[in-house]
Amino acid sequence: MGRRVPVGRRQLLAEPAKLATAVVAVAAAVALVLILNGLRRGIGEQVTLYLDRQPPVLVGQPGIRDFQSQTSVVGPQAAARVARVPGVADAAPITQGYAMLGLHRKRVLTLLVGYDDGRRGGPWQIAQGRPPTAQNEIVLDRVLAGEHRLAVGSTLRFRGTELRIVGLSRGTSGFMTPLAFTTRQTANALNQMSDGATFLLVTPAPGVTPQALARRIATDVPEVSAQLRETLAANDRSLFVGSFSGALLAMVAIAAAAGVSVIAITIYSGMRDRSGEYATLKAIGLGRRPLLRVVAMQAVTLAAAGTALGVGIAFGAARGVEELAPKYLIALSAGDAGRMALAAAGFALLAGLVPARYLANLDPAAAFHR
Amino acid sequence: MSTRAPSAVPIARRQLQWRPGRTLAGVAGIAVALLLVIALNAIFAGVEDRLTGYIDATGSSVIVAQEGVQTMHMSESALPAAAVDDVRAVDGVEAAEGILYRSAFAEGGTRGGSGVVALIGGGPVPGLFNGRRPGPGEVVIDRVLADRLGIGLGGVVSLLGTRLRVSGQVEGTAGITNSFAFVTRPTMERIARVTGVVSYVLVDAGPGVDEGTLASRIVQDVPGISASTRRAFAASERRVIGDMTTDVVRGMTLAAFVIGVAVAGLVAFSQTLRQLRDFGVLRALGMDAGRAVLLALAQVVALVVAAFGAALALTELLAAVLPRLSPTLVLSIRAGDVALAAAVAGAVAIAAATLPVIRVIRIEPAGVFRRAS
Repeated sequence: MGRRVPVGRRQLLAEPAKLATAVVAVAAAVALVLILNGLRRGIGEQVTLYLDRQPPVLVGQPGIRDFQSQTSVVGPQAAARVARVPGVADAAPITQGYAMLGLHRKRVLTLLVGYDDGRRGGPWQIAQGRPPTAQNEIVLDRVLAGEHRLAVGSTLRFRGTELRIVGLSRGTSGFMTPLAFTTRQTANALNQMSDGATFLLVTPAPGVTPQALARRIATDVPEVSAQLRETLAANDRSLFVGSFSGALLAMVAIAAAAGVSVIAITIYSGMRDRSGEYATLKAIGLGRRPLLRVVAMQAVTLAAAGTALGVGIAFGAARGVEELAPKYLIALSAGDAGRMALAAAGFALLAGLVPARYLANLDPAAAFHR
Repeated sequence: MSTRAPSAVPIARRQLQWRPGRTLAGVAGIAVALLLVIALNAIFAGVEDRLTGYIDATGSSVIVAQEGVQTMHMSESALPAAAVDDVRAVDGVEAAEGILYRSAFAEGGTRGGSGVVALIGGGPVPGLFNGRRPGPGEVVIDRVLADRLGIGLGGVVSLLGTRLRVSGQVEGTAGITNSFAFVTRPTMERIARVTGVVSYVLVDAGPGVDEGTLASRIVQDVPGISASTRRAFAASERRVIGDMTTDVVRGMTLAAFVIGVAVAGLVAFSQTLRQLRDFGVLRALGMDAGRAVLLALAQVVALVVAAFGAALALTELLAAVLPRLSPTLVLSIRAGDVALAAAVAGAVAIAAATLPVIRVIRIEPAGVFRRAS
C-alpha cells in the first residue's frame, strides 16, 4: 500500500491554502536570511569601492592599517621623498576623510576625496558634468545626488563652505559611504591643513612588484608607512562588516528560527489533524519507518518549495534593489542558494523531530477508538 | 481575552487549550517574527546609546564645532586654536577647553589584537576606573580594548605609529565600531601631526546661565562655528544611526510582518478548519454570526498578544545574554520601538484573522446536522 498510494503528497495537497501559506512563510524566512547575508557581503564590497580602483601601494602616516577609519597626514617633504624612491612611477597625493553631509535634514555619510586635477584619485566615470578643478567644486555620486534632488549646478553647504556641484559620478554609490570628490586644495582647506595629504597613491614602475616597492619605500622614507592596497582593503572590510556582523547574525538566527517554526507548525498540526489516518495506517500494518518517511517527505517538500520560492524572492529583491535603491548592494551567488538549500533541509529535519516522536508513540488502537 | 458564549463557557480559551502543543507552536512562531522587529530596533538603539557615551559623560553645557558640524563619530571638525579663546570670552562661559578628535588604529599587547579608537586629545577622561589620567606620552584606553589587546596598566599601545604607555582604563565607551582613548592635547598634536587646530570646544556655562541661550550667544559672537547644547549634540549624533539604518529597519519590519502573518494565519486557519463543526453547532444552538466571528477573532488576538509578550521577554533575555558574549553588542529597549512592534502585531492579527473569519461567516448552522446524519 505504501508503495502505491502517495499518502504524504495527498495529505500535503489536501488543504492547498494552508500549504501555500506555509510555503510563503518558509520562503519569507529563507529570503530574509539570504538578503541579510547578501547585504552583509554587499557592505564589504562597497566599502572598498574606491580602493579597488587605485594603484597597488598606498603611503600614509606610520601606523596606518586601514584606509577609511584612520587619521593620516603625509607632509609635502615626505611626499616628495616618496616620489623619488626608485621604482615609483607616480605618487599622487589625496586628502580623504568622512564627510557627514546634512541633506534634507538627514545625516548622509560620504567619503570625500580631494585629489589633484589630472592625477590619480578622482572619479573614474563621470555621468554628467565634469571633474572638479577649482576651489570649492565637488562631484557627487549620481545616486546620492538623485536621492536628494541635487544636480549639476546645485550647491550644498558643508562645514561652513558653499560647495558647487560640477559633476555627477557613476559607479561610486554605496550604502555606508557613497563617494564624493573635490580638489585636494578644497579638502585641505576644510580640514585647516595648509598643505600635505592623507595618503599617496603610488603606482610602481613597470617590472616593479608592489611588495618590493612597499618594502623599499619603508626603508628609504622612514617617516611614512607603505601598505599594499589589498591589506588596507581587507582591514576596511573587516572593520565595517565585522561591526555589523553580530547584529546581522542575530537577525539571521531569528529568521532561521522562524523558518524552523513554520515547518514544524505545519507538519505537526497536519499530523495531529490526521492522527486518525496515521493510526489507521499503523493498524493495517504500515511500519514505523514508512510513516516517518511520509513525515520526512512532507517536511522536506515544504522546505524545498519554501526555499525555491525564497531564493527566487531574494534574487528578485536583489535585482529590484539594484534598480530602485542602487545605493544598496545585495551580493548573492548560486553558492548562497545552494548553502541555503542545505540549511533548509537541516531545518526540515529539525522541524520534523517532534512530529516524528509523536508518530512513533501513536497507538494503532486509536484508530478503532475513534 | 476569551469570548464567552451565552452560557458563560470560555469557548475561545478552551479551543486554544484543546491543542496546547499547536497553540504554543503558533505563539512561538509569531513571537519569533515579532522578535525580528523588537530585537533589531533594540540593537540599533543600543548602538545609539553607546555612540553618545563620551559626549554624555563630558558633562559640558555646550559643544562647539566647525560650522555645519553637529556630530563627532565619522565626522571631521577643525577650528583654529584661537577659537577657544574667542569662545571663552563670550559672556556666560565659565570654562572652555579645546579637544582634538582623531580616529586611529590601536595595536599592541600580548594577544596580537587591534581595534579602532576615537582618540581624544585634551578634555575630561570620563569613566576612569583604573589608573590615572594620561600624562605626556601616555594613553588611557577602554577596558574592552584592553581585554582584546591583552594590555594592563603600564603596557604599551601603538597609535598613529607612536608607542604610548597605558596609564589608565575607562569603561562604557566601547561601541560596535570603536572605543574611546585619551591622551593629552600636546601628545595628540605630536602624534597626529597637527598644530594650531582643535576639533571641538567643550564649554561649561556659568551659574544660572541657560545652556540654549549660551549656545545661541556663542554662535552669534564667534564666526565660523556651530554651537549646540550637549543634549542637542548627542541627539544629532544618535540620528546618524537612525538616518543610516531607516531602510534596513523598514525592510526588516516588512519581513517580520510577512512571516508573522503567515505563521499566525497558518495556526488560526488550521484551528478554524478543525473547529468548523464546533462553530456550526454553536450557530445551530443560537449563537449569531457576529459572536461567532468574535470568537474566531479572539483566538487570533490571544495568540498574537501571547506572542507579543513572548517576543518582549525574549528580547529582554537577549539584552541580558548578548553583552556577555560580545561586550559591544548592547540592546536597548525603547518604548517607541515596543509600540512599533505592537502596531505590527496588531496588523498581523487583523491580516491573519481574515481567512478564519470568512470561513466562520460562511458556516451554515443546519449543515452540521446534515453532516452528522
